[in-house]
Amino acid sequence: MDVIVTALAHAATWQVLAATLFGSAVGLIFGAIPGLTYSMALAMVLPITFGMGNEPAIAVMLSTYIGGMTGGAISAILIGVPGTPSAAATVLDGHMLARNNKASLAIGVATVSAGIGGILSLVIMLVAVQALARVALAFGPAEITALVIFGLSTICGLAEKSLVRGMIGGVLGLMVMSIGQDPLDGIPRFTFGNTTMLQGVDLLVAMIGLFAVPHAIAALSAWKSGREAKVEAAAVNVELPNIKLILAHWWNLLRSSLIGTVIGAIPGTGGPIAAFLAYDQARRFHPHPERMGKGDLAGVIAPETANHAVTGGAMIPLLGLGIPGDPATAIILGGLLIHGIQPGPLLFVEKPAVIANIYVLFLFAYVAVVIMQLYGVRLFVHALRVPAHLLSVGILVMCALGSFAIRNTLFDVVVMMVIGLAGYLLLRARIPVAPILLGLVLGPTLERESRTALIMSEGHLSIFYSSWPALLFFGLALLIIGGHVVGNLRANARARERGKAGVPAA
Amino acid sequence: MRTLKTVAAPLLASVLAGMAFSAQAAGFPDKPVEMTVLFGGSAQTVGQVLADQMSKKLGSPVVAVARKGGGGAIGYTYVHDTKPDGYNIVWNSNSISTTHYSGHVPFDYKAFTPIARIGMEVPVLAVRSASGWKSLKDMQAAGKKAGTKLKIAVGGLGSFTHIVAAALFDRLGVTVNYIPGGQGREVAELLAGRVDGVLRFPSEVAPHVKAGTLTVLCVTTKEVKVEGLDAPTCDQAGATGLDLSMWRGLAAPAGTPPDVVAKLQNAAKEAVASPEFQKAVQNVGFVPAYLPADGFGKVIAEDDKEIGSLMQKIGLEKKK
Repeated sequence: MDVIVTALAHAATWQVLAATLFGSAVGLIFGAIPGLTYSMALAMVLPITFGMGNEPAIAVMLSTYIGGMTGGAISAILIGVPGTPSAAATVLDGHMLARNNKASLAIGVATVSAGIGGILSLVIMLVAVQALARVALAFGPAEITALVIFGLSTICGLAEKSLVRGMIGGVLGLMVMSIGQDPLDGIPRFTFGNTTMLQGVDLLVAMIGLFAVPHAIAALSAWKSGREAKVEAAAVNVELPNIKLILAHWWNLLRSSLIGTVIGAIPGTGGPIAAFLAYDQARRFHPHPERMGKGDLAGVIAPETANHAVTGGAMIPLLGLGIPGDPATAIILGGLLIHGIQPGPLLFVEKPAVIANIYVLFLFAYVAVVIMQLYGVRLFVHALRVPAHLLSVGILVMCALGSFAIRNTLFDVVVMMVIGLAGYLLLRARIPVAPILLGLVLGPTLERESRTALIMSEGHLSIFYSSWPALLFFGLALLIIGGHVVGNLRANARARERGKAGVPAA
Repeated sequence: MRTLKTVAAPLLASVLAGMAFSAQAAGFPDKPVEMTVLFGGSAQTVGQVLADQMSKKLGSPVVAVARKGGGGAIGYTYVHDTKPDGYNIVWNSNSISTTHYSGHVPFDYKAFTPIARIGMEVPVLAVRSASGWKSLKDMQAAGKKAGTKLKIAVGGLGSFTHIVAAALFDRLGVTVNYIPGGQGREVAELLAGRVDGVLRFPSEVAPHVKAGTLTVLCVTTKEVKVEGLDAPTCDQAGATGLDLSMWRGLAAPAGTPPDVVAKLQNAAKEAVASPEFQKAVQNVGFVPAYLPADGFGKVIAEDDKEIGSLMQKIGLEKKK
């Protein structure tokens, strides 16, 4: 307790508060603009921290990370393009809410969920950092493969009406991510001998294209044919969630926080996977699962809680083992090392004050980000006053610039456009977007982990069923797929019965 | 569709124009210098500290831009294709040789002109303390037992740490299954017991060595002394003659004017000498070792020859 009080006293200086506000603002802006990511924001602020004391430096890094994660939801909800890959699942319901003129409510709910998810993950981290670090270690390549297969099995639920269309989407997503150099041997794939194709398709570029371009085409064609919905300036109201509304979703919040913290703690996974798993669980537990995807608050709460719980979860291997779980935490690790803080098991023993500091600064960052965003909502929603066809042009410009900025290459702008046009055609063919996303998100992890596992076992498949986490997740995946197949067969049988009963088959 | 095109065309044009615009060597630098970073981890951290210090010495921003992937191939290809005007430099390493011999890039080190060596990183071999292996000889004996094949995690297949590990275990006469890591996962795999050892850089294993859970069996270089690391060299420990360390430095596309290279070299020299740089990189386990362009060029050429023959010997070289 003493340590925490001292840490609070240390943290309550104007330098730390200024650093937290600065980091939150930078993070929010980078997170909200599709193409600018919190990893880039972190890389940018890192040199600024070199000359700072330890507390302000940590405050800047943590608040940039957290602000960046939170900012992703703003663009996901307002314009239907995820600001970060972690916010991709938020688009599904969040943007539908915005179309129903509930943008401010959706952003408000996303913000509060983010705060709750982050702070719950901090609490979990506080009580169980060493135990969870050990759980995280139990996940090697084979176990992560099982987890990812389990994630892919949720395509069944996300496929909406047709499982076949869902699978087509999922496989297309997986295939797009296999373009370029293969991650293990460096063999070029689908590059047609072209060196610029070697770099492959960036996940975020693919997502931006998939969301932004079809939206823009739809908005522009609606405008051309005079079907565009008029947005009354006064109709853009600011409605923030009240506590009762949030508390009604307590089980979703708690469940998604747990999913996010555990997934975040496993190195090699991360925000997008956690968000999709939480989204799928929310659908499963929903009293009216058919409402998900059409603008249900549960579909905003689940991914936003989970991807923020990932921020706390990712701190577990980072602080407990000195192992970064993703590129963002790798940059934070570098920043900590430069300031002479060596994360690892000994840090908890030798310098509990530093750990307490990090926890307090993590909390500060969440408070700052939530307050900033709840005030910001009033500002952000004005974007919706712009007529849809004009807004879509602005979004396309921003997305092209963002795609360029990710890796500083024009190739990515072209990829964004090509994937966007392909995405538009797929949507016209009624291929659901969620399975494509899942394929994009999980593809690289699935390939890297399954192949590493097979290298480890020298080609023996037994590695996939010789540990409890692998068995558990493969079992769950089988249950979901089996359940879905049985359900489909029954539905078909019923349809045939009805057909026999007199209604001629079409 | 027409509307979309009218949106895209001016946008592409403006981005293209921005890229094409670049100043000549006279008055260098009059705009930011882009430093391509090829890897994450310590490479990225040290690269950013260096860029920050060089910005101060050069009077113009040096921006560290990450272009990771393909064991460095993506970034090398990018910088290789830029104009040789000094505004695009690469934070390079021995990976210029490994990417070439593994067939990932069609060009070799001669496609770049050296600017300066900045320092060294020394791979170490670490195992779990619970394994009971107190020395390299113990591990060798365990690995030589019939029916066993040690699993060693390295940075990636064909990466520098893979080659160093292969050279080490080749000398010991032990057959090894190399497991590709990435994003710092190698140490996690070792702690969890899924691999028998890692060949990685000291900063990654340091917290666990201090905590007593991991033991460093040997350091792969004969000369470079790593601060606070108390382990024999692999040469002394049984792998006689092994002496490999990773250098990191700066290079520009071949054909960059000598006066521009000289300016960058001097900025790099001052940056390395600055107390800020020295203090920051020590915490990351990076050993500053500045060498000017000509000396650095010799090191690159010598190492290239050695890595080439090593990769051929252990079968990592790509058959053309």
